[in-house]
Amino acid sequence: MPWLIKLIMFICVVPAALLMFFIAFPANPSKRKMIFGVRDNPKFHEGDAEARFNSIAGSCRKGALIITVIVCIMSIVLLFLPTNGMTMLAWILLVYGLFLVAVPFGKGNVELKNLKKELGITKSGVTYTDLTNTNTIHSLKLPWLILPNAIAFITAAVSFLIDLGVIKVDVACEQYALTMMGLSFLFIAVILIPIAIMMDNTRNIVISKDSNINANYNRAKKKTWADLMVSMSWANALFLVGYSILLMFVNSEIVVLCGVLIYTVIIMVIVGIGAFNQKSIEKRYARDTELELLDDDDYWVFGMFYNNPNDTRLNVEKRFGYGGTINVAHPAGKVIMVITFLLLVGMLIFVAYLAATGQMNDLKAGINIPGLTN
Amino acid sequence: MIIRIDEYSDVPIYMQIRNQIVMGISSGELKAGEQLPTVRALALEIGINTMTVSKTYQMLKNEGYIMTDRKNGARVRENIEQSGVISDDNKTELRRIVSEARISGVPKSELKKLIDEFY
Repeated sequence: MPWLIKLIMFICVVPAALLMFFIAFPANPSKRKMIFGVRDNPKFHEGDAEARFNSIAGSCRKGALIITVIVCIMSIVLLFLPTNGMTMLAWILLVYGLFLVAVPFGKGNVELKNLKKELGITKSGVTYTDLTNTNTIHSLKLPWLILPNAIAFITAAVSFLIDLGVIKVDVACEQYALTMMGLSFLFIAVILIPIAIMMDNTRNIVISKDSNINANYNRAKKKTWADLMVSMSWANALFLVGYSILLMFVNSEIVVLCGVLIYTVIIMVIVGIGAFNQKSIEKRYARDTELELLDDDDYWVFGMFYNNPNDTRLNVEKRFGYGGTINVAHPAGKVIMVITFLLLVGMLIFVAYLAATGQMNDLKAGINIPGLTN
Repeated sequence: MIIRIDEYSDVPIYMQIRNQIVMGISSGELKAGEQLPTVRALALEIGINTMTVSKTYQMLKNEGYIMTDRKNGARVRENIEQSGVISDDNKTELRRIVSEARISGVPKSELKKLIDEFY
């Protein structure tokens, strides 16, 4: 079912490209608190500076729009091209191509920082900490996170034992297909647990002089994160269980691909709900204008990478998009960054190798479950 | 209680925290016996080294504002010793403030009003 693979890729790539464009490059940037990872400043909207600001925002938006349109057009073209090794390679390269919007974003970031310097905007190094709420605001209930992931682990272990023949069950799919799938889902579970714990331990943001307001705001934000992670864990675990049972009885390519499609849609819906809730919280709680804003723009390289050697925290809230990111200056942050970079480059080299050796053609439908490819 | 840290200030961070905790105790924002965050938690929250917070707590303990023990962490002292005298350091600081105010033309009554407000 090559058309189904293409449909899955299309559903992943196009909404992601559009979302990135609309979130990072708003039509009316002056209404945003952050633009290209630089905190908005009233001086940006005074006299000649406003024209400069609009020109920077406009040119970067134009660049991003061109990239987004190219990605979308290429996705549509690939949707109608016959599936072979080269088109599969093109799809994967298109996923990497999504990151190209980072170029106009980074350019905008650098230009706005230069504008700040030209306007003589002085830095503020003020941070606020609520002593009452330190280390007391948590929303993650660990059992609810561990339980689904434990179910995923047990399912993967049982699948492995079935494939090894320790548990005698007649399965419809080929040997190790269940194990491969179990490990794929388990990999997601292993990633979700540390992210959930990290987000629950992020620094509390002070938006008011009233500790209760700060507590409610941070609790609400952390609850959204905890709910997102727990929901994703449950979706992951339940899907793995259902899918494993299904594969024991059915050996059909369309079942596999439909499953992947449904799983992708479910995860996207969960993330969408999480982002919506987060936005609602930001709308509900207004920041006390008497509190000074910390100007740490210079520590945000291209507005995306947080590199602050004076900050001992590993994880901080992102400036662009939804969620958290790591402090690259932190020793653990450096390790995570290098591993991520190596993984991304490694995957690209691996895909290029598969394409060069002609093995990409064999992947067609059984991307994750080779045993199911007929 | 909200603590404000200015990383570009001439006053060291440990001193900024110390001063604000003392002001919090004085104003009643931090009540007697109230639990303070652990050194590690506060350091993580502010994003500074644990040694900095440790230094602050040690200073506050030596000055008799807080008490620390392994079991309960740091707490505001129930009975802070009241010596009834202003320390020499504070006298010098007060003198500096009064001098600056005088040079700036701030009337004495205005200063007294401020003392009444803060006391």
